[in-house]
Amino acid sequence: MHDQIVDIIIREVEEVNKKLPNRVPVELRNNAPLFGTDGALDSIGLVTLLVAIEQSVEDDFDSPLTLADERAMSQKNSPYQTIGTLAKYIESLLGGSHG
Amino acid sequence: MSIEVLLERLDQYSTNEAIVHNGQVFSYHELQTFIAQWSDSLAKNQILSGTVVAVIGDYSLDAIALMIALIDNKNIILPLTSLAKSHFIEYFEIAHTQFVIDLTQTPHHITQQPSNPLQNELMQQLIEMQHPGLILFTSGSTGQPKAVVHDFEKLLKKFINAKKQYRSLVFLMFDHIAGIDTYFYALYSGGTMVFPASRASKQVCQLIEKYKVEVLPASPTFLNLLLLSGEYLKYDLTSLKIITFGSERMPEPLLKRLNDVFDGVRLVQKYGITELGAPPSKAMEDDALWLKIDSPQYQSRIVDGTLHIKTDTAMLGYLNAPSPFTQDGWFDTGDQVEVDGDYVRILGRASELINVGGEKVHPVEVEEVIQMMEGVEDVIASGLFNQITGALVQIHVKLSTNETRSQFRQRMRNFCEDKLPRYKVPQKVTVVQESLHGERFKKIRR
Repeated sequence: MHDQIVDIIIREVEEVNKKLPNRVPVELRNNAPLFGTDGALDSIGLVTLLVAIEQSVEDDFDSPLTLADERAMSQKNSPYQTIGTLAKYIESLLGGSHG
Repeated sequence: MSIEVLLERLDQYSTNEAIVHNGQVFSYHELQTFIAQWSDSLAKNQILSGTVVAVIGDYSLDAIALMIALIDNKNIILPLTSLAKSHFIEYFEIAHTQFVIDLTQTPHHITQQPSNPLQNELMQQLIEMQHPGLILFTSGSTGQPKAVVHDFEKLLKKFINAKKQYRSLVFLMFDHIAGIDTYFYALYSGGTMVFPASRASKQVCQLIEKYKVEVLPASPTFLNLLLLSGEYLKYDLTSLKIITFGSERMPEPLLKRLNDVFDGVRLVQKYGITELGAPPSKAMEDDALWLKIDSPQYQSRIVDGTLHIKTDTAMLGYLNAPSPFTQDGWFDTGDQVEVDGDYVRILGRASELINVGGEKVHPVEVEEVIQMMEGVEDVIASGLFNQITGALVQIHVKLSTNETRSQFRQRMRNFCEDKLPRYKVPQKVTVVQESLHGERFKKIRR
């Protein structure tokens, strides 16, 4: 399931990358920084990416998902740091019962 | 008095065609007969001047005759259509309604209910001046509907100058300021009103062809549906001289398509607000989206990008809300505008602005771009709460293609690339099957 989610994230990051001045280095896969110190995304880029991922995950896993909410904001380590941290966070939300 | 002028004019026009409805044509003389019958009926039912009367119905010879009889009798009138049925009890109460005349029943139904309009200061004013009144409800996107009270005498004054006799399709709602504006213009000028039995594109086109309609007042939503339906290709619409549009913002691409399809027809924007009526306005040459208010009775100014208007013909106030006027009589329309000299271009309601991380987005500018895409039948943009940027732009879209949501989203992003800044590109897409407009042919923003 982790890999399937990473694939969705990479697919959507590649979409968002087309519009970004500094692209996210998707080739680093799990380690690619998204938002934060080393991240290439600004807030609009992040929102665009999160909503796109939400909709893709909804389509593929048939499960509603909210990635930008109080819960995500209040995590000790931001789930938005890298592709890997985001994938883990999504996995935890989906409860690992799918895929 | 405005009403006396109208009654004299009806005499003067007595042989003109006044109303076309359900295949029948009625002259102004026949209208006068109906007015007289209604005046009798009001007297018989002891509906005295100064009482509040709700009229439930839609456009018909009876409805128009009754409205005129009530104005002449100095009543305070609350016109309603069945579309508002679920609100009737609430509306009757807010408006201190004493009589309800239901034209949708045969025979017409008149009921009385206990109420005392003198409890309300604005109603008291009207009753003491012995002026007829008009009550209209503004739907407003949030909160309780507000009851707008007009002095009907003042509201009608501007029609005394109505001269041009047109054959108009009276299409806008019976209980809406734009509808009232259309039919009183026709009455004062001796024009002909064609009432549609339904507001479907096909029926509208049939009537235009059959009765050589010259003026079609409509909403952008309806005009978009008219083009989509293709019905306009099947009928001879060459009698059309003017299409007026208002009540919501006209998307630029739609205006362009209308200009192409209706070659030689003048497309005119009408600006009207329930609280102020519709000020006479003039469009910029070559661009109907820019207009200037063109009447000594209306003053305008721009405050923080929002249009303010001051006029003697404004409503007296709200029955159930505090006065919105400033001390010196200005009214904030809530409409955001762009300004070019004396001209303004309506951008949209300030309350509909979407604030994406501090950047302002008007739903209509997004809709305009998405609407240009192949396969998009209709689209509505709105704001959606988001933890990170405060709000994001979402769209509900009706497609004629078989794309999946993600295919459409990808195509949309590519399409928007050189047309919208990043923060205006819709982030959330919902594909819908049902239509996106209400029965009033106005977009319903969610």
